[in-house]
Parts: sequence; C-alpha cells; structure tokens
Amino acid sequence: MSDEDKSLEGWSPEIADAETLAAVVEHAFDYRGDITLDLDDGRRIDGYLFNRNRDVAEPFVQMFERGEVTPSTIPYARIRAVRFTGKDTAAGNSYAAWLRLRQAAKAASGS
Amino acid sequence: MSVPVSQMWTVATYVLGQKLRGRKRYPLVLMLEPLFRCNLACAGCGKIQYPAHILKKHLTVEQCLAAVEECGAPMVSIPGGEPLMYPDISRLVRELVARRKYVYLCTNAILLKEKLGEGLFEPSKYLSFSVHMDGLREEHDEAVCREGIFDQAVEGIRDALRRGFRVTTNTTLFDGVDPGRMRQFFDEMMDLGVEGMMISPGYSYSKAPDQEHFLRRQRANELFSSILSRAKKSWRFNQSPLFLQFLMGRRDFECTPWGNPTYNMFGWQRPCYLLQEGYAGTFKELLETTRWEKYGRSSGNEKCRDCMVHCGHEPSAVDATFSSWRGFRDTVVATVSGRL
Repeated sequence: MSDEDKSLEGWSPEIADAETLAAVVEHAFDYRGDITLDLDDGRRIDGYLFNRNRDVAEPFVQMFERGEVTPSTIPYARIRAVRFTGKDTAAGNSYAAWLRLRQAAKAASGS
Repeated sequence: MSVPVSQMWTVATYVLGQKLRGRKRYPLVLMLEPLFRCNLACAGCGKIQYPAHILKKHLTVEQCLAAVEECGAPMVSIPGGEPLMYPDISRLVRELVARRKYVYLCTNAILLKEKLGEGLFEPSKYLSFSVHMDGLREEHDEAVCREGIFDQAVEGIRDALRRGFRVTTNTTLFDGVDPGRMRQFFDEMMDLGVEGMMISPGYSYSKAPDQEHFLRRQRANELFSSILSRAKKSWRFNQSPLFLQFLMGRRDFECTPWGNPTYNMFGWQRPCYLLQEGYAGTFKELLETTRWEKYGRSSGNEKCRDCMVHCGHEPSAVDATFSSWRGFRDTVVATVSGRL
C-alpha cells in the first residue's frame, strides 16, 4: 500500500461513544493536516490538532485554529465530530515517491 | 576529539553538579525549534509536514528564552525547520551567548553566506554553526532532494570559517551508505577546516516518510565499525568518544530521552526529539509526568528497539563518563589518543 492510499484526508468517522472518540482523536493527532471539530454548542472549528491528553481528570485536545496566534484547549466531552478536512501534508511525500519522480524526470530528459 | 576545553569544562562541572545534587534526570542539550519552516524538503524529514498556517508560525524570542531558563541545560541546539529563516535568529543567538549557553545553530547553510554578510552574527566561543552534510556532493544532494546544495553548504562553511566562526558538521547516515565514500567525506570536511564532525544513524522516526532507509541496530553497528575502525588521526568529532564506540557496537547504552529535551511551538515534546507522542506545558511537567519507563530499548517499546540516535544516547555516553572512574578514564584515553 502506498502512502497515498493510507491518507485519512476527507475521512468523517461516525463517533458513537467515548472509546471511538478517543481512537479518532489519536488518528487526528497523527494526521499531518488540518481537521474540523464540531462542538456541543454547534460551533465548528478548523485547525491543526497537535496534542491530546487522556491521562488527566478532564481529557482534552489542543489545536492551533487557523488564523489564531495562541492554541485552544478543548475538552473531549465537548467534541461531537472530527473530520479530516485539510490536505494531508505527509501523503505522497515519501522517499520512494521522490525517487520515482526523480527517475521519471531523468528518463524524460534522456539522461 | 574537538570540543573546546572551556566547553568540556562547562559540561563536566554541570554534569558533576547534577550528580552531586542527586538529580536522576537532567537535561544536557536543549533542542530548541523556533520554527518548522525550511527551505528544503528532505525525504528523511518529517518536521516540515504541517499545514501552511503552522509553517508560518514561530516562537517569539521571549518564549525561546523562557524555555532555555526553565530547562537549564548548558548547551542549546537550534534545529528546526531552518533556523536561518527565523526572523529573530540574530537576537536569539545574541541573548543565548550573553547567557553563556553553548549554541549549535543547525543549518543547511543555504542562507549562511547571505546572513553572515548581513552581519547577523559575531564570532564567539559559545556559537557554532552545525552544518547539515549527509556525505559527498552526490550523496548529500540526493539526501536533501535538491542538486547544488552541497556546493552552497561548502561555500557557506568557507565563508563562516574565514570570518572566524566555529563550524561543525552534522551527518545522518542512512542504510546503503558506502563506508569508503563516507571516509572520503570525513577527509574532505577536515580539509575544509571544520572544527569537528557529528554523526548519527538514521532513525526509526515514526513520522518521517523514509522508513525503509533508516538503519537497524545490527546494520548500524557494522556500518559505523567499517567507517570508524581505522579512524584517521586527522578526523575530529565534536561528540563523546564513548558515543562513537556505542555506534560501533563496542559499548551499550540505554537511551536517556530527557537528555536532549525538545521545545517548539507545541510545547515540550514527549518523550524525545524523535518520537512525538504529545506535549507538556512546562519542562517540569515533562519530567514529572512522562512515563519514561515506556521508552528505551529495555522497555520493549518497538519504536525504541533499533534507535541509536545521538539525542538519546549521547547524553547516556556523557553521563557514563562521569559515573565511574573507568568511564572517565576511557573518555580521556579516547580523547587524547584519538583511538576508538
């Protein structure tokens, strides 16, 4: 499977319970693109999720919202949906992909 | 070995001071990442894969200095991203030098000549440009995925040396490296006149895209042995000789993940420079709440199994130097004789 195949870009998982939410947040933490969170008050926030902590009394995520200077902290309990809306910046950027491009460029130039 | 005496003295007194205070966990080098933005996109680097709004951000000098004060390490390494793209790099370095921190500014050197020409830096025993060089021209340009970068880096190194700056190189060795070519590279760097070289194996860094080319431990030992077994007298390394022996498989060290703590716009990175498993708000929180027993080879953590990278193991080597007379003696003998 290539890196491109593994991308979660565009994914909008169903979140049925706290365990599913925790699993999706882990994916969001690993994801190298922006995500969108739907909160319990109807608010929708876009940004990069860079941290999460479940080992505290009130588990939370931290993200840099687009256009904001300081990060936001959002309790897990307020999250209703997590969507992988931003471009996956890691997808297609493997060393193998670069080698393929380089070889193709060399072949095209005849060198 | 090429670390200046004043720096060795600073590190020695610092480590002994930590031991006398009974501190089990202490930092040696702060890895300070003021930004992730870079003017290269190397295939082995996962640091730059962020959305544009994150790449546009950077720490303030005040945030950097607060982290330096809080951490207390005697040495500060400034990787990134490319630190010469940090708009306040001149002031940051000046403030760190004023605090008598030994600064390693890790750069690909593309902008080095230009920035030196603008008078952004002054030579100091506390400041060293640590230029990223992954081998001779062909290997380096391939590693950084752009042709012509080796020549630019060499030009930058020459200019920095001519202006009286300390210059070292840092080299990551990936699988497939030709030991003969690497020895040739060491000769070339010494001929250039750099103060010393730093080497480290490619690592099992889970977010870096080039997994297949990272070195496994056994292969790493074989590779470093074949490169360093008959180390030339002329080669100078800006790192612990015990760490080099570890790379060659002549010693074993457990990882010291808190030895080179990382601070960036996300906070204090857990547990180390390579693994990104979360962030702490303060250095104290990092030390006290990270479950350190989950990391290092003996933990059984598969992410740590083959890692031999300098950021976790060089602090172990330095600690070993000051933990026993034997460690101290071995370090002195290797330093004086140049034999590994």
